Amino acid sequence: MKWGMVIDLKRCIGCYGCQLACKAEHGTPPGVYYARVLKQEEGQYPTVRQLMLPVLCNHCEDPPCVAACPTGASFKWEEDGIVDIDHDLCVGCRSCMMACPYTNRYYNDQPPHYFPQGQTAFEEARTDRHQANIVMKCNFCRDRVRAGKPPACVANCPTVARIFGDLDDPTSEVSRLIKERGGFTLHPEVGTRPSVYYLPP
Amino acid sequence: MTEISLKYERLIQDLRQDFRPQREWGEGRGVFLVIGHFLVGIAAGAWLLGLLFAYLPGLTAGFLLASAGGVAHLAFLGRPERFWRMARHVRTAWVARGFVGLSLFLAGAMLYLPPLLISGWAWSDGSRLSQLGWLMAAAGMVVLIGYMGFVYMASKGIPFWNSPLHPVLYIAYALRGGAAALLVEMAAFGDPGNAAGALLKIWIAVTAVVILLFALEIQGALAGGNIAARRSVREILAGRVAVYFYGGTLLLGLAVPLALVSEGLAPSSLAVLATIGLFSALGDFFMKYTTIRAGVYLPLNPRPTRHR
Repeated sequence: MKWGMVIDLKRCIGCYGCQLACKAEHGTPPGVYYARVLKQEEGQYPTVRQLMLPVLCNHCEDPPCVAACPTGASFKWEEDGIVDIDHDLCVGCRSCMMACPYTNRYYNDQPPHYFPQGQTAFEEARTDRHQANIVMKCNFCRDRVRAGKPPACVANCPTVARIFGDLDDPTSEVSRLIKERGGFTLHPEVGTRPSVYYLPP
Repeated sequence: MTEISLKYERLIQDLRQDFRPQREWGEGRGVFLVIGHFLVGIAAGAWLLGLLFAYLPGLTAGFLLASAGGVAHLAFLGRPERFWRMARHVRTAWVARGFVGLSLFLAGAMLYLPPLLISGWAWSDGSRLSQLGWLMAAAGMVVLIGYMGFVYMASKGIPFWNSPLHPVLYIAYALRGGAAALLVEMAAFGDPGNAAGALLKIWIAVTAVVILLFALEIQGALAGGNIAARRSVREILAGRVAVYFYGGTLLLGLAVPLALVSEGLAPSSLAVLATIGLFSALGDFFMKYTTIRAGVYLPLNPRPTRHR
């Protein structure tokens, strides 16, 4: 089994629902974004269009972040291919951040609250549990997935632009979409073989 | 606005850019990493040349600089109390190899140096322990000279560093730094074997190699590199780190020592010798600093233009 995600760029409306759902699910501290949406304008007036590019950890088949980690804190689950971080092992050297060609790792050195007056009840319950001065990243909501639920960003996408499934299963929806719609990955030239695919807009 | 909120706002700005600058290595506490790499590189070079010229102050400086470099590395880590875990992943991680190399070097130097420095020490020079120390320090030295360039080369997210020339360049830096350290020491503690002349020739030769390698790296990034590598070169030559490059690397680190060498006063003048060494080391620091600070991440968007 190899979990993967397909993001349909034709369907994405750039609503940031995935980013917010992820923030709510994981209670990530300020400056840490497991899921982000990049917006880009293309063309010249009057022929212009806006492209959305939702990004997250690509859970690569050959992850350079895992190879670069000196402590083994960054690792790949054998059973499902998810790239994860054991926060108890991380020393905060940030070599994984330099190794990641997708810039989807974040160093958590901000205070665990967004507002100057201090933590909200939500932040006390969710954000405060994260360790400081370590690197953090998306783990495809592994706890949710193991419980039979889709990742939070997938579950909360209002246009169903995100599809999650088993890339090893040729009959899964993700495999079908990649094949039929010409799914592509970001930066294939770096040879990391990502598990996040995009469908052309 | 507090410093923390400024940092947060800057991150948000960075995330909106096509060419997001890396700030973790080289800014804030990240400067300790540059200092650590700088000191450890000089230490390994000083140890190698100290052995070559049988110059005890060179070996001692190598040990002291490597110790200081180790402390700087610890100061950089987010969780320094877990440093010992860095030996776990030697099989694939160059940072882990560097950590093992530094540990080996320091342990070896602690076995090899005391009988040379203190008469009547618990074990003598030439004893098994001393020989073991020599071997361990030599192995550690080889790792320290080489590993830093490979750490950068393994950084696939920063195309400018991800160059096969980087390890060679860092080996040359280590030798140039070692020569600079010994020049300063010979000016301070004397030159018993009249080795300063030979050392100066080594410094000139290695400096020429450093210039050549750096020019090749810049040329490679401009000609064959991707857009992020080209952007890094632009940052060095005409961007946010240009002042460190022109002022620190070229003027202080290259022009001043080369002018002194061409005056022909060295190696007869000890003050000139020391000045060449100090400025050369300063230039190496700025070279490493600019290279690190110029790093920008590979843009995520296949066709970078304007993000909102």
